[in-house]
Amino acid sequence: MSLWVFLQDNLSMALFLTWEHLWMVGLSLLIAIVTGVPLGILITKNRKLAQKVIGGANVIMTIPSIALFGLMLPLLAVFGHGLGKVPAIIALVLYSELPIIRNTYIAIKNVDPALVDAGRGMGMTKWQLLREVEIPLAIPVIIAGLRTAAVMIIGIAAIAAYVGAGGLGVFIQQGIARSHEAMVLAGALGVSLLAIVVDLGMGFLERRLTPRGVKA
Amino acid sequence: MIEYDSVTKIFGAGKTAVTATDSVTFTIEAGETAVFLGPSGCGKTTLLRMTNRLESVTRGSIRVQGRDIMEMNVQQLRLGMGYVIQQIGLFPNKTIAGNIAVVPRMLKWDKRRIDERIDELLRIVKLDPEIYRNRYPVELSGGQQQRVGVARALAADPDILLMDEPFGAIDPINRHQIQDEFLKLQAQLKKTIAFVSHDIHEAIKMADKIAIFKDGKLVQFDTPEIILMRPASKFVSDFVGADRALKVLGLLKVRDAMNREPRNVIQGEFTAEEALRFMEDNNFRHLIVLRENRVLGFVTRRQLKYEQGRVEELVEKFPEELTAREPLRDALSAMLMHDLMSFPVLDDSGGFSGTISYRYIQKSILELYSESQDD
Repeated sequence: MSLWVFLQDNLSMALFLTWEHLWMVGLSLLIAIVTGVPLGILITKNRKLAQKVIGGANVIMTIPSIALFGLMLPLLAVFGHGLGKVPAIIALVLYSELPIIRNTYIAIKNVDPALVDAGRGMGMTKWQLLREVEIPLAIPVIIAGLRTAAVMIIGIAAIAAYVGAGGLGVFIQQGIARSHEAMVLAGALGVSLLAIVVDLGMGFLERRLTPRGVKA
Repeated sequence: MIEYDSVTKIFGAGKTAVTATDSVTFTIEAGETAVFLGPSGCGKTTLLRMTNRLESVTRGSIRVQGRDIMEMNVQQLRLGMGYVIQQIGLFPNKTIAGNIAVVPRMLKWDKRRIDERIDELLRIVKLDPEIYRNRYPVELSGGQQQRVGVARALAADPDILLMDEPFGAIDPINRHQIQDEFLKLQAQLKKTIAFVSHDIHEAIKMADKIAIFKDGKLVQFDTPEIILMRPASKFVSDFVGADRALKVLGLLKVRDAMNREPRNVIQGEFTAEEALRFMEDNNFRHLIVLRENRVLGFVTRRQLKYEQGRVEELVEKFPEELTAREPLRDALSAMLMHDLMSFPVLDDSGGFSGTISYRYIQKSILELYSESQDD
C-alpha cells in the first residue's frame, strides 16, 4: 500500500506531472497532424517522393528515443535548448510523423479509383474531390494513425524526463535513482493509464468521424 | 453534336508507344445515341475519355456543339456533359441526394432548386424520393445505384451524356429493365449520347448508330440494321456473329414485316361448309376467324370436315397474342413453339390488323438485305 500512501502525499505533484505529460503529447500530436496529414496527401501525387518521405520517417522510427535525445542535444545546445521541453517535443513530433504520414498516404491511395474518375468526369476540381470525397473517406484510417502515434509517444514522453522535459517520466527516473519503488510504480502506472484512456478516446473519435455511408 | 476529326491517341513514347485510337473520324448527330463497340483494347473507352478530356488528344480534334474541346475550360466542358461509368462511382460518404446534387452545387444553384431537381430526377429513374433521398449508396442494390448514377449524370440537364458500359455490372434481368427504361427516357430527353459497350445485343438495342472499332481504328459506323445486314469487313461480321440475321429479328418489329391484307380470314357467321370450300379453293391450311374485327381464333380443314353450323362455334383459340410493336424474334418464337404457320397481329386497342407468317418474315429480311446492297 506504499503506492497509495505515496500518491496521497504527492497528489498535487502527480496531477501536475500528468498534466505536463499530456500537453507535451497533445502539442506534439497537433504539430505532427498539421505537418504530417498535408504531407501524406501531397505525396500521393508522386510515387518517388512518397518512397523517400515514408522511408525517411521509417529511419527516424528505428532510432531509439534515448539516442535521439542524445543526438539532438549538441545541435539544440547551439540555440540554448539542448535540454528541456524543446528537444522532447521535437522528438515526439518526429516519432508521430510515420504513422500519421503513412496512414494518410495509404488511406488516400486506397480511395476507389472509380470514385476519382467519376468525380473528375463530372467536373470536380482536384481540391473539391479531395475535400468532398477523398478526405472524408480517408478519415477513419487517418485517425487510426493518430491513435497509434498518440499511444506510442505517451510512452516515449516518459523517457523525455531524462532530458529534463518533465512529465510522468520524472517519477520513474527519480524513483529509480532513489530506489523508491512506489514512486517508480506511480510513474509507470500513470503512463500506462494515460495511454489506455487516450486509446479509448481516440477509438471513440474514430467511430464518430467515420462517414455513415461507409460504416459496415 | 460531337465531331471526331482524325482523332489519334498515343500512350507512351518511343519503342513502348501504343496507339489507342488511330485517325478516328465520325460525327454523333444531336439527339442520337452512338454506341462505341469493339473488343477490349480497341480504343472505344479511350475515345470516350478523350471527349471529356480525362485523356488528352495526341492528334486531331474533337468538337462538341461546334466548339473545339481544347479551347474550352476543362471544368466547364465536363459540367456540360453527364458521365456514367460501369463501376457506378457513387460517393459512399454522400447520401443519394448529396450525390445527385454534386454538379448543381458546382453550378451554384440555390438549395431549393437543387432539392426540387433531386426529387424530380429520382421519380424519373423510378425511385421514390421519400424512401431513397436520404439513404446512402451502400443501402441500395446495384441496379438502384446505377439508376442514381444516371440521375446524377442528368442532374444539370446536360445536352450530352457519356456512358462507359453503364449497365455492364448489373445482373441480366435488371439490365434489360434498366435498358428499356433508359430507352423510353431517351425518347423524351433526346440527349446526344456516346455509349461504350462490348455487347453486340446491347449495341443493337440502344444505338441509333454503331461505331465498331478494331485496334484503334474505326472499321464501320452505321445504323444497327446496316451493320448487321452488310458488315464492312470479316472482322465486323465475325464480331456481330454468325446469327446476325437472327439479331435483325430482334431489331425489326412485327409491323415492319406483317401482311396487312391477309386473305385467309373469315367472318364468324359463315357456315363450316362455306369455310371449308373457301379453304379448298384457295389451298389455305387454316383460317383466322373474326367477329367485328376481333380475333376469335382459327380453324383447320380437319376441324371443319363433317361439321355443320357456324365457324365461330368451331374455333380454336390462338395460344398467344402478338401486337404490331413486338420484335419479330418474339413472333417467330411463338410460331415455332406452337407449330403455327401464321399468327394474327393486333393493334394497340386489340383489333385485328393483319397476320405475320414465316414467309413474310423471310421476305422482310431479304428486302432489307437487298436494300443495303443497293446503296
